Amino acid sequence: MASAGAAVAATRRKRRVRSVRADAGEAKRNAQAGALLAAALALPGMLPADAHAQAAPDQGVIQLNYLDYRDWQPGQARMKVESPSFYALYPVSDTLVVEGALVYDSMSGASPLYFNVLSGASVGDYRTAGDLKVTKYFGSYAVSVSGVVSSEQDFLSRGGAVAVQLFSDDRNRTWTFQFGGNSDVINPTNDIVVDAKRNTLEFMVGVTQNLSPTQNIQSNITYATGHGYYDDPYKPLDTRPNHRNVAAWLTRYNQYFGAYDATLKLGYRLLFDSFGSVSNTFEASWVQALPWGFTVTPALRYYTQSAADFYMNPPFFVGYVDGQNYSADTRLAAFGAWTAGATVTKTFEKGWSVMFRGNFYRQRPDWRLGGSGSPGIESFSARWLEVGLVKTF
Amino acid sequence: MAAENELQLWSPQAANAQRAAEAAIADVRRIEAKYSRYLPDSVTTRINDAAGGKAVAIDAETAALLRYADHCFDLSGGRFDVTSGVLRRAWDFKRKPPQLPAATALADATRLVDWASVEWSGECIRLPRVGMEIDFGGIGKEYAADRAATICIDHGIRHGLVNLAGDVRVLGPQPDGTPWRIGITHPRCPGATIAGLDLAGGAVATSGDYERYFELDGVRYCHILDPRSGMPVRHWQSVSVIAPLCVVAGSCSTIAMLLEEGARDFLDAQQVRWLGVTLDGSLQGNALAPRAA
Repeated sequence: MASAGAAVAATRRKRRVRSVRADAGEAKRNAQAGALLAAALALPGMLPADAHAQAAPDQGVIQLNYLDYRDWQPGQARMKVESPSFYALYPVSDTLVVEGALVYDSMSGASPLYFNVLSGASVGDYRTAGDLKVTKYFGSYAVSVSGVVSSEQDFLSRGGAVAVQLFSDDRNRTWTFQFGGNSDVINPTNDIVVDAKRNTLEFMVGVTQNLSPTQNIQSNITYATGHGYYDDPYKPLDTRPNHRNVAAWLTRYNQYFGAYDATLKLGYRLLFDSFGSVSNTFEASWVQALPWGFTVTPALRYYTQSAADFYMNPPFFVGYVDGQNYSADTRLAAFGAWTAGATVTKTFEKGWSVMFRGNFYRQRPDWRLGGSGSPGIESFSARWLEVGLVKTF
Repeated sequence: MAAENELQLWSPQAANAQRAAEAAIADVRRIEAKYSRYLPDSVTTRINDAAGGKAVAIDAETAALLRYADHCFDLSGGRFDVTSGVLRRAWDFKRKPPQLPAATALADATRLVDWASVEWSGECIRLPRVGMEIDFGGIGKEYAADRAATICIDHGIRHGLVNLAGDVRVLGPQPDGTPWRIGITHPRCPGATIAGLDLAGGAVATSGDYERYFELDGVRYCHILDPRSGMPVRHWQSVSVIAPLCVVAGSCSTIAMLLEEGARDFLDAQQVRWLGVTLDGSLQGNALAPRAA
């Protein structure tokens, strides 16, 4: 530590040798307007908590969204999802914020299987889910408690999490520590299992650092460990391990370009799944502010994964051994995928804004990076359209 | 801070004002203990004791104060130098009868004033020569006043005043909405004021030639010493500065004294309000208000 300090000092010293000889005239020239006040504001404890960047949000938000999702494989439409959702954030006081969301999905069509042999497996289902989060800000730290419930005809999931955020004195760095758990109950309509359970614990540690007024970087590591029923009850012979560990590292970088009034957002995620697959996700988007309150955000994402250890290539049940794990679920295959999309937002007076988003997704085995994709499966495509209405108050 | 300190707070709930006051006073005491050059285990003493030796690890708060002191050094053309405390060794303002320091003693002390040679970073600091010293005079007490004010604001206090030995930071106006009237000490008449400054927010700090000095052959030698010559500054009897933060007011008033006739341009560039009393006793500056009754 001492040698690093000396190195810093050595580079700075030259400048000072000059300035120590400087006279009052130079002092005048050096004195940028209000420079000392700007320097003093960098001292810890100069600004009240409610002036800090991480102070509780002081504006409420109500948001309504509607999502329309379709996917298909060559010559065959698969699933349709229509999903209205509602989100609200309410600052109860200067230091207490409550936020919550509700979503209702109605699904129809065939689930995206390689093939579908069970007559009862065609999906005609709905899902309702809600979550609630309360955050209390205590100056240099904040504590959040959240709960989530998701219910389908054959599936019930309940979860909760506690998160602590630590803000540095200069508010340029935030550490986040989160601990959560989920408890799921699975009751498939074919009664292949009854009240099957699955429990997951999740740990997350993350840091967000402002590198400059125009750059920030965020990085976090998540580890989830679960045990219970992971099989797909509607896929014949589907047998998966009864425990699953997932570790993921996510990093995001944002850079604002004042000359264009635009922000470049880059992201990368590396994920290891104890089922045997490793995935990499790369994403980039450009948030461009335009006149008349418009913002346009084109976005591109690339995803690639290796196959799970127990995924078997078609034809169906080749490789199946009684008593061993087996799945023909193409979601566990090796493939690559691109998503291209754009969001257009228009902001109006009095806190209203409207958002339109379109995304197109395509996955193919031969788009996999760092190895060949799984043979014998068709490409898979999806698109989703979203419209949203936001009011802040 | 062996001087008179004062905290006035208004709150609809007395208990809340009490909590705020306790927290603010605790923080002022913490800073005093941490940076006092008189206490054997303070950060300042540890740094000074290691002069000429190894680097001393420092925390983020100390690094932030050094960074601020470095800004003051640059913006004052080297006049504001946190290593200039060694000049006190050459000057004895209490001696009777008064005596000017020997030229060799003054030259020896002046050679140890050299912030430019100090090796420091966000993690550590090293004073390169035995005998060098730093202190946080002109910054530390004022920083404590600002922090005390922030703590009170964070407790919901909207009307209050923090006075640390004459460096004053206010939190909003008085409860009835009128600004605080801060009396400026008359530099030649102890106990009297020379002007009143109205303050509804922000801070005022004064630096003057009257706190420690002696007179010899009709010349006043004060404790504010030019780091280049080691000699007392002249030109101003006192300079008071109004700024949003007490630490800015305090460092600006000290720098103004040190810059002598160059003070005006500096203060204007820092966009602060100020009131200077020249050697002939006339008032200058852009902060004049009618004299307090």
